[in-house]
Amino acid sequence: MDQKGSAMALGTENVWKLLLQYAIPSVIAMTASSLYNIIDSIFIGQGVGALAISGLAITFPLMNLGAAFGSLVGVGAATLMSLRLGQKDYSTANNILGNVFVLNLIFGIAYSAVVLLFLDPILIFFGASADTLPYAHEYMFVILLGNVVTHLFLGLNAMLRATGNPQKSMIATILSVVINVALAPIFIYSFGWGISGAALATVIAQTVMLLWQIKLFSNKQHFIHLQKGIFKLKRKIVTDSLSIGLAPFLMNAVSCVIVIVVNRSLIKYGGDLDVGAYGIVNRVAFLFVMIVMGLTQGMQPIVGYNFGAKQIDRVNKALKYTIILASVVMTLGFLISQLLPHIVASIFTKDNTLIDLAVTGLRIVFLAFPIIGVQMVTGNFFQSIAKPNKAIFISLSRQLLFLLPGLLILPPLLGTNGVWYSFPVADLLSSIIAITMLVKHYRKSNLY
Amino acid sequence: MKQKIVINIGRQFGSGGRIIGEKLSTLMNIPFFDKELILIASQESGLGKEFFENFDEKSSHSIFGGLFGLRGAFSDEIAPNNYLNNETLFKIQSDVIRDLAEKQSCIFVGRCADYVLKDHPHCLNLFVSADIDDRIKRIAEKENLPENKAKELIEKTDKKRASYYNYYSNKVWGAASSYHLCINSSFLGIDESVTFIKEFAEKRFGK
Repeated sequence: MDQKGSAMALGTENVWKLLLQYAIPSVIAMTASSLYNIIDSIFIGQGVGALAISGLAITFPLMNLGAAFGSLVGVGAATLMSLRLGQKDYSTANNILGNVFVLNLIFGIAYSAVVLLFLDPILIFFGASADTLPYAHEYMFVILLGNVVTHLFLGLNAMLRATGNPQKSMIATILSVVINVALAPIFIYSFGWGISGAALATVIAQTVMLLWQIKLFSNKQHFIHLQKGIFKLKRKIVTDSLSIGLAPFLMNAVSCVIVIVVNRSLIKYGGDLDVGAYGIVNRVAFLFVMIVMGLTQGMQPIVGYNFGAKQIDRVNKALKYTIILASVVMTLGFLISQLLPHIVASIFTKDNTLIDLAVTGLRIVFLAFPIIGVQMVTGNFFQSIAKPNKAIFISLSRQLLFLLPGLLILPPLLGTNGVWYSFPVADLLSSIIAITMLVKHYRKSNLY
Repeated sequence: MKQKIVINIGRQFGSGGRIIGEKLSTLMNIPFFDKELILIASQESGLGKEFFENFDEKSSHSIFGGLFGLRGAFSDEIAPNNYLNNETLFKIQSDVIRDLAEKQSCIFVGRCADYVLKDHPHCLNLFVSADIDDRIKRIAEKENLPENKAKELIEKTDKKRASYYNYYSNKVWGAASSYHLCINSSFLGIDESVTFIKEFAEKRFGK
């Protein structure tokens, strides 16, 4: 049983080796999507302009929310699919595939319809001004038309993973990024389609990969393939999938709310270019965060297994090494933000005002980065030892307990700097909490 | 009985399902598996038995359980690696059930064994219920609780079992359509019920 083989390895192999083995695929997967976002922003910032990149920044929460709805179905269904496949219950498994398809169609079209109907009021509420609105509108319009494709793409990717084809799903993701990156400059520069060109590149890239996914699932030789009769919605599948997917969806929704609050504050106390600056800062920070998230995902099976096998020294090793790696990555981000912010900002735009604002943002927001790595790893650590409530608390403490109030209290006092400083303050405070909880955990269990 | 058969017993808490299983086991000379499954699963997989104990017959997905594992639209690419989730544990346990059923006749209590063995040719799926008063008495005595606490425990445990079963299997816990025979152990009492079930099995599978 190779399950036993890999399980045994978790208990015996060199911990560094295990960490790299599990973390590297995770890191690649996580950074693939964040790289795509960065590259899109670069094309728009350089190819269209400073106001365009600010308009783009306004749309981030809408896009994230759309994608989150897309995963809402896929994540839960993937879990169910694995379950049924494990029991060789192929008829139900096929049903799940069909339901994923239909649900994604429904959610995709519904989301597009609702948001399109109220697009401008929504964008204004998110912080769009008279200058940025046209860009944001143009971009979102195309994205929303293709939203169904995004949903289906994400859903079928989840199905690929659940049916034992994680490499194919990774290929699909990476290729969608590659195609996007290849098409965007052509559309923006050669055809002069501006920001909608960037959006179109994204939609086309996902459409192409979706067609590939559909082809993969049309192979009648496989147990699981698209066929008549599987598309009827079954209440059990729908409710089970949605209830599993609800949790990650909510976490995503919280992040979206944060971005909306930030953008609104920045518009109020600053201007469009401050919003654009946050867009740049956000994208760069996200890259480092995703790397660390990949690391912590890699740590999870190692800690989980060894904790259950009561091999606490290995647990401690895995935790320690991950914290070290995470802190190194985040400190690197910190150093880049303090020493090279100008270079980083110039990648995204030529506009000097925007560059200066982005430099300010980068310098301040990244201040607590060296320590936030510990917080992120600790949160996932508690998750791995089956204490999800502690994990939730650590994560939500940063977002809801410190960041959100900070964003509401500081800007009236400090203007746009208030927005920037909210981040390192929240990072620092939540890290203190995380470290305290970690120390308490070790004291309590005497597991030195 | 010449051929290998399996008897799967779903049961309300306090209905005596386990006792019936044990007595059937002695009477028909068939090995009986309840919590022993956990030990075997643990040995087979190399995972500590605490894992299986924690997930045993409890519902899988509270909102918080899933909250942290996955972040962001693209982040669930790595989910397969997190194989200490409940679904994997369930699979390991089901593989144990299937292996055992292949080697010998068995009696299984709970753990969706009837669903796990849905392709097994010679299964008898049983559901044991009992009058609420009998159940309260039984649990109050066994767990050393006052009657009102016993009743609470019964309601809670039944609910857990139902959501466990309803989630992992494709059927409905306690519904007649999920089983071959539903029997109220208060009707004939434990011993007579055991005899009745044995005869029921023999009518189908021969002596």
